[in-house]
Amino acid sequence: MELLFNLTLNGLATGMLIFLLAAGLTLIFGLMDVLNFAHGGLFAWGAYSGIWIYTTTGSFLFGIIGAILTGFLLGIITEKWIIKPVYGNHVQQILITLGLMLVLSEMLKVIWGPNQLTANPPEYLRGSWEIGDMIIIKYRVFIIVVGLLVFAGVQFLLKNTKIGLVVRAGVMNKEMVQALGINIKKVFMFVFMIGSGMAALGGVLFGPYSGVIHAGMGMEFAILAFIVVVIGGMGNFTGSVMAAILVGLSGSFMAYFVPELSLAVNMLLMAVVLIVKPQGLFGGKG
Amino acid sequence: MSELLKINNIETYIGQYHILQGVTLEVKKGEVTVLLGRNGAGKTTTLRTIMGLNPASKGSIVFKGEEIQSLPTYTIAQKGIGYVPEDQGIFAGLTVEENMKVAIQKENEETHKRLDYILNLFPDLKKFWKKPGGLLSGGQKQMLSIARAYVNDNQLLLIDEPSKGLAPIVVEKVMESILQMKDQTTIVLVEQNFMMASTIGDCFYIIDDGRTVSTGPMKQLKEDEEMKRKYLGIA
Amino acid sequence: MAERGEGMKWIVNNRMNAIYLIIAAFLLLLPFVYESRNMLILLTQIFVFAILAMSYDLLLGFTGIVSFGHAMFFGIGAYSIGIFMKRFEPTMLHFIYAVLATILITAIVSFIVGLLTLRLKSHFYAMLTMALAGLFLVLAEKWRTLTFGNDGFTFRVPEIFIDRTNFYIICLVTMIAVFMILKRFTNSPLGRVLQAIRENEQRTESLGYQVLHYKIAASVVSGVLAGIAGIFYAMSLRYVNTSVFTMDITLDALLMTIIGGVGTLVGAIIGAGLIEFAHDGLTELAKEHWIFERWIIFFGIIYILVVIFFPLGIVGTLRKFTWKRRKLESAKKKENLAG
Ligand SMILES: Nc1ncnc2c1ncn2[C@@H]1O[C@H](COP(=O)(O)OP(=O)(O)OP(=O)(O)O)[C@@H](O)[C@H]1O
Ligand SMILES: [Mg+2]
Repeated sequence: MELLFNLTLNGLATGMLIFLLAAGLTLIFGLMDVLNFAHGGLFAWGAYSGIWIYTTTGSFLFGIIGAILTGFLLGIITEKWIIKPVYGNHVQQILITLGLMLVLSEMLKVIWGPNQLTANPPEYLRGSWEIGDMIIIKYRVFIIVVGLLVFAGVQFLLKNTKIGLVVRAGVMNKEMVQALGINIKKVFMFVFMIGSGMAALGGVLFGPYSGVIHAGMGMEFAILAFIVVVIGGMGNFTGSVMAAILVGLSGSFMAYFVPELSLAVNMLLMAVVLIVKPQGLFGGKG
Repeated sequence: MSELLKINNIETYIGQYHILQGVTLEVKKGEVTVLLGRNGAGKTTTLRTIMGLNPASKGSIVFKGEEIQSLPTYTIAQKGIGYVPEDQGIFAGLTVEENMKVAIQKENEETHKRLDYILNLFPDLKKFWKKPGGLLSGGQKQMLSIARAYVNDNQLLLIDEPSKGLAPIVVEKVMESILQMKDQTTIVLVEQNFMMASTIGDCFYIIDDGRTVSTGPMKQLKEDEEMKRKYLGIA
Repeated sequence: MAERGEGMKWIVNNRMNAIYLIIAAFLLLLPFVYESRNMLILLTQIFVFAILAMSYDLLLGFTGIVSFGHAMFFGIGAYSIGIFMKRFEPTMLHFIYAVLATILITAIVSFIVGLLTLRLKSHFYAMLTMALAGLFLVLAEKWRTLTFGNDGFTFRVPEIFIDRTNFYIICLVTMIAVFMILKRFTNSPLGRVLQAIRENEQRTESLGYQVLHYKIAASVVSGVLAGIAGIFYAMSLRYVNTSVFTMDITLDALLMTIIGGVGTLVGAIIGAGLIEFAHDGLTELAKEHWIFERWIIFFGIIYILVVIFFPLGIVGTLRKFTWKRRKLESAKKKENLAG
């Protein structure tokens, strides 16, 4: 019982981190038809910049804010200088974002050195609560709560604001959005920024969760995020959160019971989805 | 200056295909100008070129005295042109209400008046206000699309085959509503249904093989059996 | 005699082919006149990566498919040879078994990946190959009884491959063979369909071609050749570890193809040469200044600039210029004739 509970909690926390990465990926894809292979790089940049600010200032909150701002900034730069010049050409876009991934990861090593950095949760999130014989690690709960808040926030944005509506409309029919007098390029920029910010937030939260961060983490998480994006349906925001939880949970349970197969199971899931329902497990676009 | 829109000899490529090879149009304020022509003649492409969705490579498009042929689509729309595409362009996953919200450019008194007016014209939209656009019937989609184009302060509406795939009774309804709106805006209408075209239209242009080949007042076309047979395939 | 006459004509008719022939002859003779072990090893490495890059070019340049998991096929080849040589005697027979195993496995894997994703948008192939390569990497790390985990293992190679010069020649000949085969393949009717797919997939489909079949065929040929490259790579080191499955290998192939020029084959070879030489030179420079340890960053930046500004790469850009010049010249000639 206790074991199951802990594995679930762990899976949910991991799922939320993957969600933060996958959500931006899926939104950017749905709206702009761009699969951003550099998205994992933003995750790693969020982790490094955030943890660096956190250790220098001693404030985790500053770290988080710093990471998000870094994400916003990198997102804007990426959209403006990397994606825009090759807009409309799929192959070039895929290739160029991978190049950016390369540069982003290497830049991390140039700035912060090639070795991994360590990170611990701040005092108030350390340790655990004990309820009966159950031990609940605080930091995991914290990640889950933050993830859910972000989900709710973005959901609110998409459902209740004009720009959110435009984003959803753009996913369905870009031309029509423009024919209604909306500058979709500005919307692209906005979505890219938000997506990058979420990825960076995921990265900084991951730091104290795993205890160490390294430049290769972006790629590792990006693969999980791709799996999630496919399972949830490319461009489907609500799908991405469910798929992320699914992948997080299956990863957590498999890692405990049959560690060798944990990535394989997720891959298999993705393969099955690709065969039977390439538009994703959770309905069409939306 | 009574021409609201003047198109001067435009040419448009889609990919490597030379689709429009010289289209010239004059649209007078307050009139309904009907574009006719057989399937694949280039009527839709003409409207898309006006909207900047398939930009013209040659020629000029003057709207309210200003050249718009090289502006991006959204700016063209903001200048006061509403577009009802052939496939209606409904955002399927968005409700009727949300579809309208995306369309509304300025939230003001006047817009609300227009919204009220159009909802009275199409009571079905009010009825299914919270229903996803994708679940509407063909006629309702057409109404929603027209409403979206109408709700902004547009001086010109481009409407592409509103009768396509609709039952005769629904066609009549759509036709009536366009007739009503006629008093307030200028309309360029692509229409294959000759009955509808001739009832609403003030003047006509025939497009064939990417070129405007004939124009005149609607009355004239009604009587010209030869022309109808040649370009429209109606005896 | 007649045949030789034909040969001469062929050479005269094809300036480019003549140049290739001269370079090939030069490379063949090189080890006998210039004895530098380091140079030999570097060139061998270039040949091996040229095979990998050409296999990549078949996908990207000739069919318009982006793979981010090419390392997977490379790694399968590398581990196949390693495992056969380690488990059994390092004989020619086992070498052949290893080659057969590589062909079989890479063909099956690339067939399945192709079948799953090639009917969807290009993103899916890129994504699935990337993820699958990740899976193979984990597999190689975890299946310790077979792979000895991260550390990898050393192995012996059949007699004939031991001598560096021999091995150099074998790699060179294999590279040339692969080049000629791919040249043939891409000029064959099948290759032309592939290029038509790259240009306009829908039109090709509407002309009645089963686009999916052709794409899968390209995917399989490319996968098998990448596997062959992996075999030679592992044999050159006589050592294999999990690094053969990493993204770095895929990135190398990608950089070589893009910088050299997509869709040209010879560009892949030139790209391989450039990257490997630069790699070598920058590793030396790293001793002078630490920034050169991060040499990948330079490549990354160059690569991004190439994709934006010279999407045709070195060879493609050169060809475009000579093509334009020729067109100009012939236009002038016509003018002269007319005037
Ligand atoms: N995306 C495209 N690519 C290539 N050709 C196109 C494309 N879109 C339209 N065409 C071609 O352009 C020509 C004009 O098409 P258009 O849609 O403007 O005709 P239309 O007059 O609206 O016909 P219909 O009455 O059938 O709607 C047709 O021959 C069509 O095949
Ligand atoms: Mg049409």
